[in-house]
Amino acid sequence: MGGPSGGNTMVDARDISGKQKQIAVSEFFEKNKHFLGFDSLQRSLITAVKEAVDNSLDACEEARILPNIVVEINRLKGEDIELISQDNGPGIPRDAIENVFGKFLLGSRFHAIRQTRGQQGIGITGVVMYAQLTTGAKTRVVSKIATDSSAVFVELGLDTRKNKAIKSKERREIWIDENSGEEIKHGLKISTIMKAKYQRGKQSVYQYLRMTSIVNPHATISLIVRGKEGEIIEEGKWLRTSERLPRVVEEIKPHPHGIQLGTLQRMLRESEQRKMTSFLRHNFSGVSVRAAKEVLAVSEIEDDRVPKRINADDAKKLISSFQKVKLLPPPTDCLSPIDDLLIKKGLSKAIDSRFASTVTRLPTVSQGNPFQIEVGLVFGGDISADGPIEVLRFANRVPLMYQQGGCALTKAIESIDWKRYGLDHPGGKGLPKGAAAVLIHLASTNVQFTSEAKEAVADNEEVFDEIRKGLLEVGRGLKNHLKKKDQRKKAKEKFELVNVILPEIAKKTSKILGRNEPDLAPVITQIMNAVFCEEELGWDKERKLATCSIKIFNYTARARAYTILLKWPENENISMVENSNGGRKEARGIWAWRLDTLNPGTSTTIDVALSGLSKGDWTDTDIFFRGNGDIIGATKIDEKILEEIRKSEALVAIRNEISESGNQEIDGFVREVELLEKDNEKASDSINIFADYEEVSE
Amino acid sequence: MTDVGQRKTKDEVKEALKGIAAEMHNKMEKGVPPSMTLPVRAKTNIGFDNRLGVYKYGKKKSTRDATSLGSARQLLRSLHVTEFIEQMIDSGKSSTLREMYYISEAWGHGKFGSQNESNNLAEDLEIVTKCLREDFKLRPEEDGARIIGNVTFEERNRKGDWMRINCRDDVGDSGYGVPYNVESEKLSLVEEDVDFIMAIETGGMFDRLVENGFDEEARCALIHLKGQPARSTRRIMKRMSKEWNKPIIVFADCDPWSFRIYASIAYGAIKTAHISEYLATKGAQYLGITADDILAYDLPSDDLTKQDISALDSELTDPRFNSGYWKDQINLMKEIGKKAEQQSLAKYGLDFVTDTYLPEKLTEIGLGY
Repeated sequence: MGGPSGGNTMVDARDISGKQKQIAVSEFFEKNKHFLGFDSLQRSLITAVKEAVDNSLDACEEARILPNIVVEINRLKGEDIELISQDNGPGIPRDAIENVFGKFLLGSRFHAIRQTRGQQGIGITGVVMYAQLTTGAKTRVVSKIATDSSAVFVELGLDTRKNKAIKSKERREIWIDENSGEEIKHGLKISTIMKAKYQRGKQSVYQYLRMTSIVNPHATISLIVRGKEGEIIEEGKWLRTSERLPRVVEEIKPHPHGIQLGTLQRMLRESEQRKMTSFLRHNFSGVSVRAAKEVLAVSEIEDDRVPKRINADDAKKLISSFQKVKLLPPPTDCLSPIDDLLIKKGLSKAIDSRFASTVTRLPTVSQGNPFQIEVGLVFGGDISADGPIEVLRFANRVPLMYQQGGCALTKAIESIDWKRYGLDHPGGKGLPKGAAAVLIHLASTNVQFTSEAKEAVADNEEVFDEIRKGLLEVGRGLKNHLKKKDQRKKAKEKFELVNVILPEIAKKTSKILGRNEPDLAPVITQIMNAVFCEEELGWDKERKLATCSIKIFNYTARARAYTILLKWPENENISMVENSNGGRKEARGIWAWRLDTLNPGTSTTIDVALSGLSKGDWTDTDIFFRGNGDIIGATKIDEKILEEIRKSEALVAIRNEISESGNQEIDGFVREVELLEKDNEKASDSINIFADYEEVSE
Repeated sequence: MTDVGQRKTKDEVKEALKGIAAEMHNKMEKGVPPSMTLPVRAKTNIGFDNRLGVYKYGKKKSTRDATSLGSARQLLRSLHVTEFIEQMIDSGKSSTLREMYYISEAWGHGKFGSQNESNNLAEDLEIVTKCLREDFKLRPEEDGARIIGNVTFEERNRKGDWMRINCRDDVGDSGYGVPYNVESEKLSLVEEDVDFIMAIETGGMFDRLVENGFDEEARCALIHLKGQPARSTRRIMKRMSKEWNKPIIVFADCDPWSFRIYASIAYGAIKTAHISEYLATKGAQYLGITADDILAYDLPSDDLTKQDISALDSELTDPRFNSGYWKDQINLMKEIGKKAEQQSLAKYGLDFVTDTYLPEKLTEIGLGY
């Protein structure tokens, strides 16, 4: 790959330095293209699409626009490929275009601590650079912002000497949509030509967009790939399944637990504060007045020292005392989880399955960096049952497509004994096999990768543990689902046996022997000898309600009394609008009914309806019971789990209150949160014990 | 039922079948699930019957009761079959097992899932009622054997006339075809001029011996078993051995499946252990090919497959092979890891089997000529 020729043979000092710079920038690109994502023709195309689509999603998110993104790939002569990417985002103001497309290795987010997609790669500039270096093509940009009357049409190249974009053929015009013929109000379109290769399979543009659509259920994304004759080779369209944009994430200050000496020294040098307490309070998150004073006391540093003048030894003391003093955890509203219900939607739009279980763990902190884990598991349906399960890895909503084996997210999946949860796991090593796909999303202000390629998440004990907890939760869901499926099959068989086959047997023997038909009621009770529970989830189209009907049959010879508990997706938007049997709320998302005594041979039904859900949101649930004797189709409630649900509920409530009252110090709350967190740790320990117990018991 | 003379009358058969329905009906009247009791049909439940000299089912019983859907369906099917047999007895018809399988299409929830199910159920009914399949008017699909040699039978033909057939002079090269029913009402053994009867596993070897005129040279009757021998094949051998007092010699491949063919002839098959005394020929001898032969004659051989080895292992725990001779043969075979076909003898020419191998082997067991 050679750089564009300068075309100037005159040699003077300025030119030499310019030339050196040119060599430096293109050489930098050439040398580092493996971690910039441009190491092979196939991957270069994926990287280019990725940069364009990530920019579009980020821009739409900031401007609160539901994104429509269209990616077009056209094969031209030789290895040339035309890439077109268009969005309905806010567009880029004319004066900013050069900066966005021309500045190499310069992002406004460089110092900000919050969760963004743009932490990967070098941005769209890399695409402009790569196209120019491989085909000499200029990148054409059309940008329209809502407040301008016309769109900017411009061609961009890179001046590698000055490390900036060169504009050419700039004009202003009304931008008309080719398909609808209507004027485009706002948006951005990029088209360029590069040497690249379109390939199908696990590492393809198609797979990248499919994965992107799973974690961005609010986006509509489409892909068209055309061959040299203009024929369509591949097509994909992923429609949005949610109108809800990801929430705006707050930028946060660094937390003392994650700070390194060099960074602290730089912050001290650059600080404007005149007192150490205000330096600590204003530059860090999680540091109250009380905590700042304690840190200084432990470090034996006077409060009236000027931060700029703190020397290296004192800075070291500060670092070590950060670990000794109780600090508030960093706020976690800088994270943008996808939300378990939306993951479920995203997964079900991309994968046709029978069962989906998702979980969004509470945010937590590792070395001062807030992070949050989300896990999803789908099973059955159209998923191929041969070979290992599909792994869908995401860091800050960005799909990770390479280096699956070396990634901590994959290792966490491999560390689970999947056999206990109903998947084939030969030798308990590697990935389990079967008709399943597992999704893991790591949202963090600081995702640690194994290398600059940013394709594999580095090992981190806290992250690993959180993923494991999430996986165990969805694993339990799968196990329950399979158990329930099995029980349902058995119950169905028993019903057929007593209702169809047995009466026929009686009829036949009576006919053959010429005797009267016997009374079958006692025989039936003996064959069934159990209480059955059957739930049916449905959708009331007229009233837009999700319905659940629970039937309980007593096929035993004794009268039975139970409390039935239903798990339902309770939140601010979802409420129970109909309920045939009253009952009471047992915990968030758990409703309980104490049933009247059920006599032998009788049955009863509970009907509920929920508002605030759409069709297909509620496809699987759990029924629990309290009482003596088993119920086939329901699980005996574990009071420990209930207790844990109640505790994390209280914790969430208090956290919300704190974040609502800003970052003010409320000592009472601090203590309460600390206590509750300790409690919660215990509670999650007890859940773990429960999980271990479950693993051993089989 | 050891003897043909003890066969049941039509009414006895019908009464025996009604017993099955009565067991179920009585249970239901008592308020418990209907059931049917059967012996366990596995090698763990066969034992040597000293009096009969063959292997029979032991005391282990299994109860098929209507507590699972599969078993309940089986019970319903048994009742349908019972009714069907009764109708055939009354109308003087018979049907093949396969025909019954198709007829069951009309039985609703009692229809068979596969042909195998209908075969097994017919055997179940034989066991429970102590009747024979022939009593039920059910015919097998399976092919009977072919016989060549100087023996004479009388078979009742379709017109009801007795037809005299000499299996050397009145048949072509394919020999006399053994009918599915070889009981006295259908077939009688008239006369013979042979010293022994040789059962041969494969068609190729049967044809080789016929072409070489081995039946006349060695004064024997040749029977082609066609793999695992059908019930009628085993039954006719049993009759020839008993009524004519001739030794039965088995000549088969050297592999674990051939050993089982021999066991079913000499001791009784696991699946039909309820009528072993009726089908098995006590004293039938295994001539070859043995594992020793592979070494002694340096025969072309194949490696044992995984399935072969597990079949051999299973035979080591099969009471029918619990003798020094068989344990030695099976262990030797495992040791050399080889098996050989009958036709591998052709390595030494087409006549080797009749000129050298068989005369040598027969002399070993005192049947030299």
